[in-house]
Amino acid sequence: MRGALTTIKKELLSYAVSPVSWIIAVLFYLVRGFEVAQQVGIFHVYRGDVNQFPQATYSVASTYMMVLLVPGILTMRCFAEERRTGSIETLMTAPVRDFEVVLGKWVAATLFFAILWLPSVCLLHAMEYDSYFGADISFGPVFAAYLGMFLLSGLLLAFGVFASSLTDNVLLSAILTILFNTTLTQSPNILRSVFGASSNEYYVRELISKLDVYGNFSNWFARGLIDTSQVAFYIGGIGFFVFLTWISVTSRRMV
Amino acid sequence: MIRVVDLTKRFGPTVAVDQVSFEIGRGEVVGFLGPNGAGKTTTIRVLTGYHPATSGLAEVAGFDVQKHSLDVRKHIGYLPQEVPIYPDLRVVEYLRYRAELKGVRGKDRKLAVSRAMSRAGIENVSRKLVGHVSHGYRQRVGLADALVANPPILVLDEPTSGLDPNQRRRIKQVVRDLADEHTVLFSSHILSEVQDVSSRIIVIHRGSLRADGPPDDLVAHSTRATLHVGARCAGSLLREIVAVLPGVVEGTVEVADGDNGVAAVTSAIAPGQDPTEELGERLQKAAIAVRELKLVMPTLEEYFYAITDGSDDQGESVDDDVGDEGVAVAAVPDSEEGEQ
Repeated sequence: MRGALTTIKKELLSYAVSPVSWIIAVLFYLVRGFEVAQQVGIFHVYRGDVNQFPQATYSVASTYMMVLLVPGILTMRCFAEERRTGSIETLMTAPVRDFEVVLGKWVAATLFFAILWLPSVCLLHAMEYDSYFGADISFGPVFAAYLGMFLLSGLLLAFGVFASSLTDNVLLSAILTILFNTTLTQSPNILRSVFGASSNEYYVRELISKLDVYGNFSNWFARGLIDTSQVAFYIGGIGFFVFLTWISVTSRRMV
Repeated sequence: MIRVVDLTKRFGPTVAVDQVSFEIGRGEVVGFLGPNGAGKTTTIRVLTGYHPATSGLAEVAGFDVQKHSLDVRKHIGYLPQEVPIYPDLRVVEYLRYRAELKGVRGKDRKLAVSRAMSRAGIENVSRKLVGHVSHGYRQRVGLADALVANPPILVLDEPTSGLDPNQRRRIKQVVRDLADEHTVLFSSHILSEVQDVSSRIIVIHRGSLRADGPPDDLVAHSTRATLHVGARCAGSLLREIVAVLPGVVEGTVEVADGDNGVAAVTSAIAPGQDPTEELGERLQKAAIAVRELKLVMPTLEEYFYAITDGSDDQGESVDDDVGDEGVAVAAVPDSEEGEQ
């Protein structure tokens, strides 16, 4: 796995020196800071349940921005850029397994996403110094929510890496990922409206429920609940797209 | 170290490499020549494991390229024609990354990077972003990358492409120095460069092997030389004497009567023949004063022109003008082989 570790280090370095990463971070924390401040005001006025506060901060625009837009932007360069510039040739002729390269790129994208997302916990931590919230915020459910976000983003990034392996056009890769992620997160709501929220067909309801990747996050992890079947679902999805990426990359050596 | 037997590579209906066979032994420096679109880059890409062969065998360091691609890649340092490197990394960061990717770690890595930079002459730009260095330096960063893991085999695809004369000279010197420890296969369009550096050349044209051997031998034994004679006698007499010499190609004797009774004759001489001594004796016997007698050997350029039919392959062949995805594209005048 040394090839994967080397790839992770190099990719993280590339993310760190890319202005795009910093633009995302600045935009995200500007929007999120504003939204959290707004939520604090609402909880103050309506005397909201302090333990509901973290959950309230997940269902805001900046979360959707991170889930829908950022995976496409972070992963668009993974393979598409390598193919566009031709550096894929030096990468594929280096003594490293294709799977290690694919895994390394996905892990690096997910770690960088986590680096972007994790500091948001400081906003919650800051609430402990607020006169109304005091020290009442319980960080157990917050951990569950962050784990859920890590798994959800891992799945969406895995698709992004796969999309990037299909083209040498970084813009196309980003658009493909954003469209797919939007469809994946929004289609369960559309399907429910088509089939009815209380469909008599058990399997239809279950299928829609299982495929609801964002719903699984917001209904379970965001409420502080960790369900191992949901964890397995995300990990399975990640494995599926990482495998597809490996097939896409390694097929170059077959034709 | 490199063995290729009946190697064929097709991209759809297009045959890029057609049953090419050659062997390169340990410590040889071999020049790989051919016009644009001849199949050089495709052959190199098969050898480095980037493209699979359609049929035939390619072995590097005793490993089958198709079956043991990873082992092959461990033994090769590869410099593609268009050096594609990450513009947002510093030169030294890029080389550290490449060294680590190639299994050079810890203290060895620092030493290997430093040695590779020194050999390629890029220490002075080590802290610069790769995207900010000139084309020549970028080419040398690519060369340092190929050298960093000190592989036994180096495959350099047009390493001097787009460089100025000083930079070319430097790269040639590096290749010469490498010859002591490495097996080197390098392709180039600059024939004099190949002649300077290589002990042997392989010429490929339209996907097929056209020549393989030491450049001087190939030139001497495959291309006509030109005999120039100037003597004080009648042109018709000089023609008679020259026409019967061994090696003179029939119908190529040309006579020009000059001033002061000096006639000049030129004639093509068959490959491997040298009739100058015999001609000298005959002229001496006939008591003819000789003003000039020389056999002009053909150049590698003339030889290359002859065996590649004088073709530049532009607009008439798409043999190697195959895109990265295996899709044949139209040959573009003056296109570089890096686009293949």
